[in-house]
Amino acid sequence: MEAQQLTTLTGVIDKKMNRQLKQYMDICARCAICKDACHQYVGTGDFTYLPARRAELIRQIYKKYFDKAGRFVPALYEARDPDENLLDELYESTYACTGCRRCMYYCPFSIDTAWILSVAKAILIAAGRGNEMLGQLADAAIFKGDNAAMFEGVMLSGFEDISEEVRAITGNPEHQVHVNKEGADILYVALAGAHSIRPAAVIFEEAGESWTISMFEAANYGYFYGDAEKARLITKRYIDEAKRLGVKEIVVPECGHAYRVAEIFYEAWSGEPMPFKVSHILEKVDEYIKAGRITVDRDKIDGTVTYHDPCQIGRNGGVFDAPRDIVRAVTSRFVELTPNREQQWCCGGGGGIVAMEEFKDVRLKSGGKKVEQLKASGASVLACPCENCRLQIEELNEVHGLGLEVWQVIDLVVAAMPFKATPEADAATM
Amino acid sequence: MDTYLWITSVAGVYVAGVVFVAGIGWRIYEWATTPKSPVRLGMFPKPATTGGRVAKMLTDTLVAPHAARIEPRMWFFAMMFHVAALAAFVGHLRIVQEYPLLPDLLGAEGMNAFAAWAGGIAGTLMMIAVLYWIGRRTFGPFKNLSVPEDYLLLALLLGVIIMGNHMRFFGHVHAAEYREWFQSLLAFRPHVPDAISNSNVGWSLGTHMLFVNALLIYFPFSKLVHTIGSFAANYARSE
Repeated sequence: MEAQQLTTLTGVIDKKMNRQLKQYMDICARCAICKDACHQYVGTGDFTYLPARRAELIRQIYKKYFDKAGRFVPALYEARDPDENLLDELYESTYACTGCRRCMYYCPFSIDTAWILSVAKAILIAAGRGNEMLGQLADAAIFKGDNAAMFEGVMLSGFEDISEEVRAITGNPEHQVHVNKEGADILYVALAGAHSIRPAAVIFEEAGESWTISMFEAANYGYFYGDAEKARLITKRYIDEAKRLGVKEIVVPECGHAYRVAEIFYEAWSGEPMPFKVSHILEKVDEYIKAGRITVDRDKIDGTVTYHDPCQIGRNGGVFDAPRDIVRAVTSRFVELTPNREQQWCCGGGGGIVAMEEFKDVRLKSGGKKVEQLKASGASVLACPCENCRLQIEELNEVHGLGLEVWQVIDLVVAAMPFKATPEADAATM
Repeated sequence: MDTYLWITSVAGVYVAGVVFVAGIGWRIYEWATTPKSPVRLGMFPKPATTGGRVAKMLTDTLVAPHAARIEPRMWFFAMMFHVAALAAFVGHLRIVQEYPLLPDLLGAEGMNAFAAWAGGIAGTLMMIAVLYWIGRRTFGPFKNLSVPEDYLLLALLLGVIIMGNHMRFFGHVHAAEYREWFQSLLAFRPHVPDAISNSNVGWSLGTHMLFVNALLIYFPFSKLVHTIGSFAANYARSE
C-alpha cells in the first residue's frame, strides 16, 4: 500500500498506544469465549462481529508494525498492512459495535474490545473512512454550539412552550424551565427534545430543586463517530457553561452515553479533572423520592413493569440500583429481565448504530436476545432510560409484535405523581 | 545420543533459560514503560477498596468465574490444563531439590510410586486438554479466528506433554537421576548421568527438552504472556 497512507495509519496506533491497549494486543489467546457474549454475533452468526475478530484486525496491524515477533515472522500472526481489504472489514465490524462491553465482562483477561475499537475508529477516520452520518451529526453539533446565538430565539421559545406544559401538568403557576440561571445548584444537560426536558422539569420543580438548563445538549456524536477532539469540543460546551453559571453539579439525562462521557471520558479528553460532581438524573430522582421531596403513588401504572439496564448506565456506568428503586416505588408489579444488571444483554441499539441506516439489518437481528428476554419476563411495560435503547426496543416491539409500552423512567415517575391540576394533565405526560 | 542430549538438554537449556528470562523481563519493561490508558477502563460493579480490587483481580484471573458461566466446557478444559500444568510444575521441582517430609513419610519407593501416579494423571489431563483445544480450533468460528501462532503453540505443548508422558509411563528412570542432571546444570558443571543416556528414555528426555526449549524461547514473544498480562488486564477491569 501507499507509504504515505501507511505512515498515517500506523501513526494513529502509535499516538493511541497505551499500556492497556498493548496488553490487550499481546495477551488475547483467541479462545473466542467472547463469541456468545456478543448480541451481534449471537444474532447474526457472522464472523465479522465476533468480538475477538474485531480486535484481531487491529492486532494484525499491531503485530506487523509494533511487535518484534510480528515484524520478524509476520506469517505466524497473519500480520498485515491496513490495506483496503482490512479497512473494509474494519469499518463493518467497528461501526456496528455498540460498545456495550459485554464481551469484556466474560473475557477471562477482561480485554476491552470497545477500547480497541476506539483505535479502529481513529484509524478509519484517518483513512477518510469514518462513518459519514455520525461525522455529520458531530459537525452539526459543533456548528450549533459555535453559533449558539443563531439558535437562541427558537430554543428560548421552545423552553417557554415546555414551561407551559409543565404548569399544565403540575398546576403550579410558578413552575417553569429555568434557562441559564446563574447561581443555580444544578445544570441539567438535557437532550434536544421536549421529552427529555418536560418530565425532568416537573420533577425538579416539584422537588424544589435549584436548577437550570443551558443551550447545550448532552448527546455526543463525536464520541460515537470516534473523534476524541470533536467529542471533547461537544462536551466542553456545557462544562464551560456550567463554570460560567457557577453551578455545583452537572446532571445528565437518562441517555446512556452522556453519563459515561461526562463521568469517565471527559477528563481523559481534556486532560483536566472534571470540576463538577456528575450525577445521572435517575440518581437525583431516587434521592428525591427517598427524601420525600417528591411523592409518587404506587400502582397508578397498569401492568407488570420490567427494567432494561442500558449498557452505558449499568455495566459501564455503575447505576444499577437507583432506577430499580424508582421503578419499585411506582409499581408493586416489578419483574427483572434475565440476565440483568452487569450481565444484561445489549438491546442492539447503542453506539450510534440507530443513526446509521446501513446497519439496520444487523441491528434488528442483534435484538433477538432482547426480544427473548422481554417475552420471557411477561411484562407489559418496559422502563428504559437510554434514548438509543428506546428507539431500538420500540422498533423491535413493532417488528416482533411484543405489545409492550416503552417508557422513560422519568415519565413513569411523573405519571405516578399526584398533582393539584386537573386529571387531563396526567394525559399530557404520556 | 550424547550429542543430542548435549544440544537439547545442556546447551539448549541454557539458551532457552536466558532467552526466556530476558524476554519476559523485556516484555514487562515494555508494558511498565508504556503510559497507562488515559481513560479508566473499569466496569461495574467495582470493589471500593484496593484490597477488594486485588481480591477480585485474583479471582478473575485464577478462577475466571465469568468465562465459566458463558462456556462451561471450555472453562473446564482450560482449568484442567492450567491446574494440571501447575501440578506438573510443582512435581518437576523435585529435580531441583527433593521435597522434605513426603519422601520420609512414603519412603523412596513410595515417593516414586506417588510421583508416577501424580505425574501420570497431570500429564494425561494436560494432553486431553491440549487435544481438546486442537480439536476446537478445527471448525467454525474457532478455526476462522485461529492464526498459525495458535497451532504452533499447541503443537509445542503437545510435544512437551507427549515426551514427558513417555518418560513417565515407559521410563524406569526416577527423580534422583534427573536431579543429578539438573543440579549439574544449575552448578554450571553440566553432565548427563549414564543412567539416563543409556536408558530407554534418553531420547525422550532429549526430545522433551527440545520442545520445552522451543516453548520457553517463544514464550515471551507469544500470546502465552497472558500468564502475566492477565493479572494487569484484570486489575484494569476494576479501575
